[in-house]
Amino acid sequence: MKDGNKLRAASRRAVVKGGIALAALPLATVFTKRASAQGRPVTKVLDFTTGADVAKAEAEGEFLFYTHDSEPAAAGILEAFSKDFPKIKGKYIRAQNGALFSKTIAERSAGNFSVDVIQFSEPATALDFQKRGGYTRYVSPQTDAYATEHLSNPVGDYFWVGVTFAGISYNTEKVKAEDAPKAWKDILKPIWLNAANVKQSTSGMQFVQWYELRKLYGDGFWKEFAKLRPRGFDSRVQLFDRLAKGDDKICALAEYAGYLLHKEKGAPIAFVTPDDGMPAAQLLNGVADKAPHPEAARLFVDWLMSNRGQSHYQNNPYLYYGSVRKDAAPMPGNKRLKDFKLLAPSDMDHFMASRDAFNKEWNAMLGLL
Amino acid sequence: MVVSVPDSPPASARVVSAQWLAMAFVVVATALFVLYPIYFLVQASLDVGAPDTRPPTAYGLDNFAALPNYSTIMLNTLVVTFVATIMALVFGFLTAWILTRTNVPGQRTLEQLMTVPYYVTPLLGALAWSLLGAPESGFVNQLWRRLGGEGALIDMTSPMGIAWVMALFEGSVAFVMIGAVMKSMDPSLEEAAQVVGASRLRTMLRITLPLVAPGVLGAAIFVFAEMLGSFSAALVLGTPARFYVITTAIYQLVSQYPPRIPLAAAMGVSLFAVMFLMLYVYRRVTSRRSYVTISGKAFRPRVMDMGWFRWVLFALCTLYILLSVVLPVATLVFSSVQRLAVAFPTADNFTLDNFRTALSLNAVRSAMTNSIILGLLTATIGVLLTGLLAWMIQRSRLPGRGVLEYLVMFPQAVPRLVFAFGMMWAWLVFPIPIYGTFWVLLIAYLTVFLPLGVRTISGVIMQLDRSLDECGQVCGASWGYRLRAITIPLLRPGLLAAWLLIFVASVRELGASILLMGPNSKVLTPAIVEAWFSTSTELTAAMALIQTLVIGIAMILFVVATRRASQQGG
Repeated sequence: MKDGNKLRAASRRAVVKGGIALAALPLATVFTKRASAQGRPVTKVLDFTTGADVAKAEAEGEFLFYTHDSEPAAAGILEAFSKDFPKIKGKYIRAQNGALFSKTIAERSAGNFSVDVIQFSEPATALDFQKRGGYTRYVSPQTDAYATEHLSNPVGDYFWVGVTFAGISYNTEKVKAEDAPKAWKDILKPIWLNAANVKQSTSGMQFVQWYELRKLYGDGFWKEFAKLRPRGFDSRVQLFDRLAKGDDKICALAEYAGYLLHKEKGAPIAFVTPDDGMPAAQLLNGVADKAPHPEAARLFVDWLMSNRGQSHYQNNPYLYYGSVRKDAAPMPGNKRLKDFKLLAPSDMDHFMASRDAFNKEWNAMLGLL
Repeated sequence: MVVSVPDSPPASARVVSAQWLAMAFVVVATALFVLYPIYFLVQASLDVGAPDTRPPTAYGLDNFAALPNYSTIMLNTLVVTFVATIMALVFGFLTAWILTRTNVPGQRTLEQLMTVPYYVTPLLGALAWSLLGAPESGFVNQLWRRLGGEGALIDMTSPMGIAWVMALFEGSVAFVMIGAVMKSMDPSLEEAAQVVGASRLRTMLRITLPLVAPGVLGAAIFVFAEMLGSFSAALVLGTPARFYVITTAIYQLVSQYPPRIPLAAAMGVSLFAVMFLMLYVYRRVTSRRSYVTISGKAFRPRVMDMGWFRWVLFALCTLYILLSVVLPVATLVFSSVQRLAVAFPTADNFTLDNFRTALSLNAVRSAMTNSIILGLLTATIGVLLTGLLAWMIQRSRLPGRGVLEYLVMFPQAVPRLVFAFGMMWAWLVFPIPIYGTFWVLLIAYLTVFLPLGVRTISGVIMQLDRSLDECGQVCGASWGYRLRAITIPLLRPGLLAAWLLIFVASVRELGASILLMGPNSKVLTPAIVEAWFSTSTELTAAMALIQTLVIGIAMILFVVATRRASQQGG
């Protein structure tokens, strides 16, 4: 009986505490940032501020970066960082988003904590990783340059290291400008039968497009599209390679970054910015829990969040990711993210819950089932 | 054959202990390498608990129950695999027969060129034939249309196109395996057939073919399993036509989020049944009769005089080399020096940037070194290990040696991409921390190439007359001495073939490496495949050509070194 009273009392205390915490939630971000700035001395290195102890980071001498990005992209990022911090050697492992997630989870289950910084290509994966306690909370002094919606909740687990977005692209030798799609609904025309390409269900970007266009035009949109027997590929390079060579006439998930890369090579392709907006997917980066090189990891994340890192992500031809940093310079083509009408999921719970439905519909559409 | 007896014959107890010690070591190592990852793979296939939670939180058969949903993919896989295996065996047998049993002109050069397709990473071949035979942009089809034709002359994205490309490149594996057996064959039986009036064709079909049946069957099983796990050709050529096989489906399942690894594992485990059925047939066929062609009687390898027909045979071999080596490599060279690969490029489209980029990638340079070192180690240790295994399976009286043969075929029965997950889980929790190091890759390669070595060497061992070994035993030679002085010299063609095959297979390995590479132990082929996904066909072509060149140089050095060593050794 006594124990029961204690339990009830504790519960009441918990409720009061919970109420206070809930009321304080809007201010939590601000407090956390301040706490971080106060907790860790902030120093300026090169032209950015960092909460990492640079001397300790240099003494650690290395860090390991897991990423979904391509081999040359990952190598390029670490090479750029090493130019700024020659005493710290960055190493990387890259794999497709799903395989990277499985590998990391398997390693952690076995007590192997070798990764320092990890980057996923879709929010569902990052949220799952967060729920499993995969991140170390580190609120970078660079956080102030980012809007709250571009940071994890709570702040400090991960941030949007870049954004990729997609419109429509067509082969100018196979499709006349007047026949080219102008809006998303135009990709449903029967003339694109066996002539359109998209990405596989492995793509986070593809998931966003499916989700957003379904929201705009209803469930029937993709069912109509499926009748055109589109072809699915793993990467934007493959999509544009086929488009440039005329194997496909339109690319229904034309990432701007892929378009720029192929346009520079002289491919006969054009990019269409649909008036109804362009699906956009974020890439998410954070310090891993039990990182063996915590200071080097923090320094790397600060560098990535700074204008130096963001500039690299925007200008490396294997990345060309748009920056959500408030004071980011324009992307190649002299445009900023805010110049585009982007479609991104706002209700993350609903978005994540839709993943299974997407996988089933998409795999069936591409002939995988 | 003369056997020189050692001065002091060892005591029989020591003989037995040396032999049994070696056998025990090999059995334990093989069981550890194979069964340990298989345990985790089977565990994953039965995992119906919370996704991506290890160890599984619940077990059941749901993943196997879901397999009928993928019946089209299973059927696609079996059709392509059967067609490609038959084609590869025809290529392999014919070319092996021509180059080892006939007086075809330029035999030595042709024989060396025949192995080149195997040096080439499978992606290179698939990429080249995709550039040549894609319905719209394929160079051959563009040329065809420019000459006034309509539509596509060839379609490499069709199931037959995929089977053709797979067979073309696996044909050289069949050639090496069957060729090794044919080289060890006493020609007196063929000569006897001809003396009694049999035609050359009849001699080939009624004498040569049955005598090399173990080698052909061994090659058939190996090639079939290779095709079953083939990934690159199906990925590059099948995906554009919405044609999926089991490996490309598995790749999608494990790459998507949430990864469906338990379903992929169930798909992989279900392939054990197909593979073991093949092995059962092989054992039944080979246990019924003797295939001995190397006995105590001395023989000199002699070839049949084919008269004018040898030029037809020469043309056949040349055509095979043209289609499997010259044309694909030329296509890739042509593509790698362009910014955007097209059949009729303008002058400003040509560039050397792809080679500059490929050579400037630090990761590629270190990966290349790692790949070569791993290849050398895997081939050398692998030949030792698989040689002993093959000897134990074919020659020893070890109880349960039949089980050992099934055991070594496990890694071949499952697509490498799935088996790699089993190995990752296994070596992650292994008490000695080797995960993420160079050594785990060595173990993985030794594991996945067990079937290759055992199949290649077994075919030759079966041709050895037991009496040779028994003769040495009667003379008091120890087991080790007999192995060194009798068995190994006679097995030399098979051992060299196995070394070569394992070396090349290691350097171009993809599936196991992707998950097991650590930051300091990267290897080359995943980087090349990755380049195809994320950079460009042209850069990928440049990287694949560099890899082929490096393997080629390593092979030339190996051949020169072994030739010099054998000359010095008399």
